Amino acid sequence: MALNLVKDYGIIGICSTYQSNLNQNAFVKDLNIKDIDKALKIVDLDASIKDKVVKDLTLSEQFKVELATKLHDKTIIIGNLSNTLNYKTQEYMKKLFIKLNSDYNKNIIVIDNDIQVFFDLVKRIYVIFDRIVVYETSDFFDKELFKWVRIPKIIDFINYVNTNQPILQKTTDINELIKDIYRSVT
Amino acid sequence: MDKETDVTIVSTNLNKNILTKYPNYHVIDNNFNMEDLCKYTHVIFYNNLNNLSEKKVKEIFTFLKNNHIKFINITNNMEFTLLTAYLIIYDRSNILIEGPTLEVLKNTKLIKRIGLNLPFMVDLSLLLKDYNLLDKIYLDKEELRGVLWP
Repeated sequence: MALNLVKDYGIIGICSTYQSNLNQNAFVKDLNIKDIDKALKIVDLDASIKDKVVKDLTLSEQFKVELATKLHDKTIIIGNLSNTLNYKTQEYMKKLFIKLNSDYNKNIIVIDNDIQVFFDLVKRIYVIFDRIVVYETSDFFDKELFKWVRIPKIIDFINYVNTNQPILQKTTDINELIKDIYRSVT
Repeated sequence: MDKETDVTIVSTNLNKNILTKYPNYHVIDNNFNMEDLCKYTHVIFYNNLNNLSEKKVKEIFTFLKNNHIKFINITNNMEFTLLTAYLIIYDRSNILIEGPTLEVLKNTKLIKRIGLNLPFMVDLSLLLKDYNLLDKIYLDKEELRGVLWP
């Protein structure tokens, strides 16, 4: 189902739980990673990780290794950025996904329970519950969306401030929000 | 840290080895129920509360505090740092900084330099402070709205 959804948008976000299927007891070098040295470099891992067992890696390293196994797929399905990566690494991965989509024509499906990881990345969000698409939207400020998913703090704040009258512009960028607040109060 | 009853730990690179640093704390599985928590005096959550709502996490922490159970929540979710009084930030396997949560979070440059972000209201308040629009950190959106647009 998700493979059909992604064709029109290139990169989509699915709000759902993601289960990694990485073999925890395998050595990284024994996983099915094509062009392993190049793949590890793309995901920002040192080649020395090849001799490590997956379960001994950090959560972030496990995510990157899993991504490395999928780099040759036409459609990359990956998830759990918010649970495994710190903020800086999340931003690196988002840039990588955009590059894989724009330069290498990959379709990307990102699965996460925290839609904040979809900011500046996905063209469409799907909420899946019990294997059924219960909602879809391209608008992060879509109020119906938040009947299904946790509302990001920045959106919650802007919606609250704008309750009675529109004071702030809709944005997912805190720096744009600061400028907007400054303009509004001075 | 020994005197602290509710602690959040965040790390630039989470790894289960961190649990060995807290041997007195019982590691809580994903599918726990509240009653089971009462069997222990010290419990530790390893990145397994992130998919819960903030309201649910607050309920769990309130339950633990009311039952005098010391707890540590190890998490990647910086918003949850505001739910405990004490915060420890690890950079890889070393403690970078620790202390009362808001005092630790004021070290914005340090925190951002190691690749972490700040809870939204803390980040917003500190940025607005830089613009001389605020004089302190506001965690409540209603209160902040009242200050900015009285």
